[in-house]
Amino acid sequence: MAMNLKHIVGTGWTNFRRNGYLSFGATGIMALALILFLSLLSFQFLTSQVVATLQDKIDISAYFTQDATEDQVLKVKSDLQALPEVASVNYISRDQALADFKARHAQDQLIQDSLAQLDTNPLTASLNIKSKDSSQYAAIAQFLNDSKFKSVIDKVSFYENKDVISRVQSLSTGVKTWGLAVALVLALIAVLVTFNTVRLTIYNQKQEIEIMRLVGASNWHIRGPYLVEGGLYGFFAAAIALVAFYPVIYLVSDKISSFVPQVNLFGFFIGGAFEVLPTVILLGVFLGMASSAIAIRKHLKI
Amino acid sequence: MIKFINVKKVYPPHNVVLSEIDLEIKPGEFVSLVGMSGAGKSTMLKILTREERPTFGKIEVEGIDLATIKDREVPYLRRKIGTVYQDFKLLSKKTAYENVAFAMEVSDSPLEEIERDVPQVLAIVGLADKKDSFPDQLSGGEKQRLAIARAMIHRPKILLADEPTGNLDLVNSYDVVKLLMKINELGTTVILASHDTNIVNTIGRRVVSLDKGKIVRDQSHNGRYVI
Repeated sequence: MAMNLKHIVGTGWTNFRRNGYLSFGATGIMALALILFLSLLSFQFLTSQVVATLQDKIDISAYFTQDATEDQVLKVKSDLQALPEVASVNYISRDQALADFKARHAQDQLIQDSLAQLDTNPLTASLNIKSKDSSQYAAIAQFLNDSKFKSVIDKVSFYENKDVISRVQSLSTGVKTWGLAVALVLALIAVLVTFNTVRLTIYNQKQEIEIMRLVGASNWHIRGPYLVEGGLYGFFAAAIALVAFYPVIYLVSDKISSFVPQVNLFGFFIGGAFEVLPTVILLGVFLGMASSAIAIRKHLKI
Repeated sequence: MIKFINVKKVYPPHNVVLSEIDLEIKPGEFVSLVGMSGAGKSTMLKILTREERPTFGKIEVEGIDLATIKDREVPYLRRKIGTVYQDFKLLSKKTAYENVAFAMEVSDSPLEEIERDVPQVLAIVGLADKKDSFPDQLSGGEKQRLAIARAMIHRPKILLADEPTGNLDLVNSYDVVKLLMKINELGTTVILASHDTNIVNTIGRRVVSLDKGKIVRDQSHNGRYVI
């Protein structure tokens, strides 16, 4: 059996080398398919990062009236925290708001002077609320609206942010569903093209296969070398794809960082290298072998 | 030993190519299957190598019932049966030596055995000095002898020859037939399908005549091709 396997792998390798242009073509197409896969992976990563960054920036605030007591505000806060969709509630007291305001306008002498003239704190207490999911803000706003402390709530900022929130939301779901759909269609095309190329190389050796069957070669002897050949296409395609992809990502990553500093695309692929490399190689080998297996099937009918 | 028992072959929908075939061929016989094109000669040979299955009836080859043989056992059946065709079916990218060695490689023969047997069989068919020639560099008769060498490499008990002289001139045809008779004398059962009157009459052994898918004559000695 060891001898057997050696012969099969050896024949597969010889076929791969002798098929010259066809091998080159099949490997090239598969490399493109794998680069496509990698690009989709980075696109998915990028959009999810951007959407997450944007979602992080969205919040709603409930501003209280001047005469709201701290107890009332804290009661609203604990009510909010009891809601399952709320991620965090940040209480900003009137004093805190004033201190923030002063700090923010420390350079502006006019504002500092005006504030000094006032006897009372003109700012109101507020609650800053973040939700676990951007689709939940409407529900939270509604909750505040129905609250028994509605009388002391001056305004809820959701209604001002509503447009941004819903736009981010539709962007995020759109990217997810359409990205998946596009990825599936492209993967299907890649499989078809690879399958067709392998089929062409097998068709090229139709006569050889027929003679193998006539002289009594077992099916594994006929199939084996083509599976090895398909696997080799996949392996070399994966190598080409990775060698081409990493430098490009390195260059692109810089440009992206200048737009969205939080996103480190190259870091993602370097950090995930131990997952990305085997995945791409296995995917390539699997794609090649599966295409070969389907293409050879027709010729194995006894 | 080959047995056809009431064999019928129909290509869908209604094309009956063989019917009521009853034939027994003993070990060591030389049988010529004769008949016009389309009489069913090739189909009978294809049924023996299990390229075709009969629609009806029973076939035994060397004690194997072809109706019950599993697909994965078919390669082993084919190693017991050598086949030669009108169009040679040689691999044009391989030399004479490689063409014969190929048949051994695909059945897992050890390298020493290949290196020992291939020159021997090439010598038997008279191609010892052409072992490095490619099929395109051989004459028609040489190609057919090379095909016979490949068919004989597994030392089969049965050799099937489907119009082996169809592409050859008279002299080369005669060489090939002589070679087939020599192989037969060494103990291999030979079944020759041919529509060549001269060839069949030269051999003068058992002749089975087919017409429109039926056996119309079976002359066991000194048979002749009668149309």
